[in-house]
Amino acid sequence: MLTMMGITFREGLNRKVLLISLILAVIFLGLYGTGVHYAAKSFNEHPNPMVAAVVYPQLLSFGLYFGGFIVSFLAIFSAVGAISSEIETGIIQAVITKPIRRRDYVLGKFLGLGLFLALYAALFFAVIALVINLKTGLAPEGQWRALGLFALQPVVLLAVTLFGSTVLPTIANGVVMFMLYAVAVIGGMVEQVGWLINNTGLQQAGIVTSLVMPVDSLYRKIVHLLINPTANPLNALQQMGPFGSMAEPSVWMVVYAVLYVVFFTGLAVYAFNRKDI
Amino acid sequence: MDMAIETFNLTKKYGAKVGCAEICLRVPRGQIFGFLGPNGAGKSTLVKMLVGLLFPTSGKAILLGRALGDVGMRGKTGFLPENFRYHDWLTGRQLMDFHASLYGLKGPAKKRRMGEVLELVGLAGKENQKVHTYSKGMRQRAGLACALLPDPDLLFLDEPTSALDPIGRKDVREILVTLKTLGKTVFLNSHLLSEVEMICDSVAFIRQGKIIRQGMLDDLRAGDIEMELKVGGLTPALTAALSSLACLVEVDHDTVRVRVKQEQDIPRLAAAVVGGGGYLYEMNRKKSTLEEMFISTTAGGDQIC
Repeated sequence: MLTMMGITFREGLNRKVLLISLILAVIFLGLYGTGVHYAAKSFNEHPNPMVAAVVYPQLLSFGLYFGGFIVSFLAIFSAVGAISSEIETGIIQAVITKPIRRRDYVLGKFLGLGLFLALYAALFFAVIALVINLKTGLAPEGQWRALGLFALQPVVLLAVTLFGSTVLPTIANGVVMFMLYAVAVIGGMVEQVGWLINNTGLQQAGIVTSLVMPVDSLYRKIVHLLINPTANPLNALQQMGPFGSMAEPSVWMVVYAVLYVVFFTGLAVYAFNRKDI
Repeated sequence: MDMAIETFNLTKKYGAKVGCAEICLRVPRGQIFGFLGPNGAGKSTLVKMLVGLLFPTSGKAILLGRALGDVGMRGKTGFLPENFRYHDWLTGRQLMDFHASLYGLKGPAKKRRMGEVLELVGLAGKENQKVHTYSKGMRQRAGLACALLPDPDLLFLDEPTSALDPIGRKDVREILVTLKTLGKTVFLNSHLLSEVEMICDSVAFIRQGKIIRQGMLDDLRAGDIEMELKVGGLTPALTAALSSLACLVEVDHDTVRVRVKQEQDIPRLAAAVVGGGGYLYEMNRKKSTLEEMFISTTAGGDQIC
């Protein structure tokens, strides 16, 4: 399993998708840093603590939202053919005929990619938090827990994409996973609107999509961890808009996300154990 | 006799389509076994079942005394797939290292074995190149090296020489014969009948998913050998002399086709022509017996290489 984990991690580092993701990340962080810089400069020149207290946290959540996009894309692109493309090219034939269990092949893939994605996400989070801290002085509590959840986001996508990769061809898996991710994103926004206009139907639709794909609810949890909801009377304003989090997902949502990862990884092992190649 | 491979009614069905039906094979240890059949006959299906890529629908198989899927058994088995594709972003050495680790090799033993197999397949000195820069032949050699890493007791080779030039083929043949002398068993899946004929001890023919003939190669080809001679100055006396050595099939102007019972009769035919005052312009063995056997037993399949 460690051998598979090692090669998968190294493969992640070697793939073009990483290079593209890094370039995208640099462009994004450059633009983001510039935006934050000028926002901070403007507030420094014309101090307005009230507006700054609303805008700074929103800048942070905005950064994490789109950062989450990039990390999620990387997760899906890295894992979409993790197993299926090796079957399609025939690489797998010389690998799983070795004295390793099929379970170890799948778990090695999961751990190698999971480690790679979690590190990438953690680095991304750290850069965003650093930019915000340096420019605005904002250093929210709960940053470490938020970092952990931010790193968990791509792992959730990885688990379900890896399962897809054992049962679907690469292209079909990619289509399904992007649709699933889109469902989570749209569901999250629908729920946000639901809380804003106090519409139970929309709220429930959001909850259902969170159960189908819990990535977005992890993001909403991160926002709540970073932008303390109780201590600040401006919280409602800070949490408004598509990148906010009007209702904090409970800790059970995090537990659910972890179980979701375990379930789909287990399902991938189960499916692959019975698969003819 | 100690068997390296024994299968008992091994069957693979894909829905209504039969990949392999009730395959019963026995391959003794220490032999090179040739598995022959036209495209789509089920050769790859059987190999894939034996190496654990496909799960049989029914039946069972014993490899090196252990059941299919036994992880310990796989540690003593090597497999070179037909469509040899590897992680081509690695160097040759990194690829060997990865496959050696999959076999559980560690430390100095791993390093030593990697050096040995690279030398054996002729890739020594090229191990620091990336695999994607290798030629097709070099990749096939790299694949063979990976399969040889555990010093396997049983080696499955699916078209191992298809990408090799004549020197490469000779090298591989020599490696296989050396393995045989070391008591290893080789399961060779090949279309190159001349190669099979040169090195295999026993063969089996498969058609439409069923084994239709199997046995020791010498026993199978212990039949007549057909020869075609082009003779100048052919006289009735000379024809009579030839017919006393062999069964006359056809005489057409200066061309004579005969059948002999054994290889030793072939030079006698030549001696008879020369001794009878004829001029021997050509003397050809009509197809290899294995090729004849292949065509007669697998008739109806695709064109063969």
